[in-house]
Amino acid sequence: MAKKNSGSLRSYLLVRLLLVLPMVLILLTFVFLLMRVAPGDPIQAALGGKLSPAQLAARRAAAGYDRPLIVQYGEYLRQVITGNFGTTITDHRPVIDVVKTSGAATLELTVGALVVAIIVGVPVGLLCGRYRDTWFDASGRTFGVVIYAAPVFLTGLLAQLIFGKDLGWLPTSGQASPLTQAFLQTHSNFLLIDTIIDGNTAAFWDVFKHLILPATTLGLLLSGVFIRLVRVNVIQTLRHDYIEAARARGINEPRVVFRHAFRNALVPVITVMGLQAALLLSGAVLTEETFNWPGIGHALIDYLNNRDYIAVQGIITVFALAVVVISLLIDFINAWADPRMRY
Amino acid sequence: MRQRRRMAQGLTLLAAVALIATACGSSSSGGSSSGGTGKPIVVGTTDKVVSFDPAGSYDQGSWTPMYSMYQTLLFFPPGSTKATPDAAKSCAFTDTTTYVCTMRSGQKFWNGDPVTAKDVVYSFTRNLKIKAPNGASSLLDPVKSVTTQGSDKVVFALKQPFALFPDILGDPSNAIVDPKVFPPTKLVANDKIVGSGPYELSKYQDGQQLVLKPNPHYAGTLKLHNSGVIVRYYTQASALKLAVEGGDADVAYRTFSPTDIASLRGEGSRGVQVVEGQGAEIQYIVFNQKIMPGGSAAQKLAIRKAMALTIDRPAIAKSDYNNTVTPLYSMIPAGLTGHTESFKQVYGDAPNTAKAKSTLSSAGVKTPVSLDLWWTPSHYGETSADMYTTIKRQLEATGLFKINLHSAEWDQYSGAYPTDQYQSFQLGWFPDYPDSDDYAAPFYGTSPLSFLNDHFSNPQVDSAIAAERKSTDPSARAKSFGQVQLIGAQQAPIIPIWQGKEIAVQRKGVTGVASTLDPSYTFRYWLIGKS
Repeated sequence: MAKKNSGSLRSYLLVRLLLVLPMVLILLTFVFLLMRVAPGDPIQAALGGKLSPAQLAARRAAAGYDRPLIVQYGEYLRQVITGNFGTTITDHRPVIDVVKTSGAATLELTVGALVVAIIVGVPVGLLCGRYRDTWFDASGRTFGVVIYAAPVFLTGLLAQLIFGKDLGWLPTSGQASPLTQAFLQTHSNFLLIDTIIDGNTAAFWDVFKHLILPATTLGLLLSGVFIRLVRVNVIQTLRHDYIEAARARGINEPRVVFRHAFRNALVPVITVMGLQAALLLSGAVLTEETFNWPGIGHALIDYLNNRDYIAVQGIITVFALAVVVISLLIDFINAWADPRMRY
Repeated sequence: MRQRRRMAQGLTLLAAVALIATACGSSSSGGSSSGGTGKPIVVGTTDKVVSFDPAGSYDQGSWTPMYSMYQTLLFFPPGSTKATPDAAKSCAFTDTTTYVCTMRSGQKFWNGDPVTAKDVVYSFTRNLKIKAPNGASSLLDPVKSVTTQGSDKVVFALKQPFALFPDILGDPSNAIVDPKVFPPTKLVANDKIVGSGPYELSKYQDGQQLVLKPNPHYAGTLKLHNSGVIVRYYTQASALKLAVEGGDADVAYRTFSPTDIASLRGEGSRGVQVVEGQGAEIQYIVFNQKIMPGGSAAQKLAIRKAMALTIDRPAIAKSDYNNTVTPLYSMIPAGLTGHTESFKQVYGDAPNTAKAKSTLSSAGVKTPVSLDLWWTPSHYGETSADMYTTIKRQLEATGLFKINLHSAEWDQYSGAYPTDQYQSFQLGWFPDYPDSDDYAAPFYGTSPLSFLNDHFSNPQVDSAIAAERKSTDPSARAKSFGQVQLIGAQQAPIIPIWQGKEIAVQRKGVTGVASTLDPSYTFRYWLIGKS
């Protein structure tokens, strides 16, 4: 029986892996076509209103944008397969460099946001579940709904005005102050890590302070999901027989709640955390714009505005691959933990 | 908390000063005594950089730092729209189609390589060979050949007489590059460039910041009033505003909305000051003469004239732009050679509804005239929406017009207006070089001189443009421009609306910003100091 089960796990994983290929191919094709079907091109975006139609056409032809779509598509796929995402049209950077430097900034922001979401969302959700239908529960749930519904840019702007402009406690834009960034050695593209490697405490605090507002803004959004999820799971777990049994055995209430109910209630939360990766990345785009955070979302909007096909395709492909890999990992973990998933 | 933050910033600043001072210390061996005094300055901007390679850029965001990193044969001194020698010792026409420059001796790139006449020839040849899609090689269309003469002379042979050629040489797209660093057929990455300007690129992080330190080998004439420049890039004007308010930026240059400027003007007590200079950016309305309303050329002309008589420019400048722009009565902006207020001469200095009505009725035009007017929401700033609402209101208030406003984003818009899809449309213009020719030929010249494809053509205008292009005599050129502007107003194929001001915001204690704000759009980092 055990042998049969492990065999089905293998085939489940194999099917999931094989599904990734058409999924990514469909996405690549969709992005490619969307960029070409939309009006405008990089030349027109940059020099429209400056050159005549004939001059623009000549430049378009020289850059190869007038070639048949199928030829451009074939070339694009060939590049992606060989791991070469090309060079951006507008600022001549290898796309992989953009992904590395901007991706690191986004990762720094999303990790910070996740920490905030866990610190706020999990305890509030736990207490709301434990003290169900009390004023605390009502306040926690309201907070969760409001913070999740509030647009990131609105929360961000309010935070900038209050903590940056009025109180003057925290910086409102960028990853570090200009002078810190100017003289910080780049080791890993992660600024916090670079300051630690350099042993530069002043720079570390500067970078850390710049992270607080954007990470809190994005983290609070996510905490809304966590509050509701943890609350519901804690309420359900507290109804289980083994909780009653624990109480009947005379185990004190905090131990019942934290040791028995809370730990079990966390399992689905961990799954959802993975699924929130896509939300976190899309939320990061808006947060990065609001806080002038030099992440990959920030770069994506720039390149989209300039109709830079190559850059947009490359960045979205990396985004998509990241989400696919995370989803795949979650599927693997779920299938391993819960045999029902394989059928 | 704020004090501790300031203390930390102060310590970082000291470290930065020390580092830049070290760089300056090493510069003394380079033989220049011009650079590196004072404090480093931080300039914030919402501009974007396309390329720091001279062959790959044709945009303000790239050109602004390039003025400081490269040398050109000629450049524009503060307050002047006449190009004067920079890397060249002297330049002059030897005949109407030959322009010769003699190089200044002893100049070097920041890697120590000498700057020679051969490098100049290489730079121009390379630009023409690469013809980068986003580059400005088209500005060199008048050039037939570039050669050296002896060891220190560069000879430009032109296809036809072109008096304003020296101005084009002041563009950063014609900067001198080092052949050892810049390959002949490929663009160089932004962080790998080498120039011979007063500053050396120390660090560049795309979309984040650019760090410049004094070039130790610089042997030109410019004096630096700071010991380094950090350019910080912002995507949102709101973030830039917060940065200059909070002291993260010493100077904010380009681009604030009129509302932001109005708000910043009231923040003198917070150490913020708005500085203005004369700009040369313009906005205007173009008519497609083929598809605009009107049954005959005379009726179409009457409609254009009636619009020119009705639009109230001062009201737009005041209510929509908070006086960050000035009313424009010619396609050639004030401050450039030959500027005349031709639209005032022809139509008066205030709206005249009665005259507009009689103009239309005498041409037999039925009123109200239904006209499609297109504008674009983000390319020229969010205030475009306000401006076109005001224009519609002004025109319709006369009872003579029914304006159908339409908008489209730039990607669609820029492809549609030159292909006979819009009856009338909004456009804006930044100069390629601060000469009136750049406001005459591209708008009023017969295609391909004009890029508008609006089907306007006038032989008198064409001959006046040809005349000013041949002449080096300022008064003769001014006369030609006067003729172009007068016909431009009488025929009104384009209605000028406003001329932008050059605006920067500085912190208390910053000096030199006002002196660099002029119609050449050369933001000269070296002039800016901080006490």
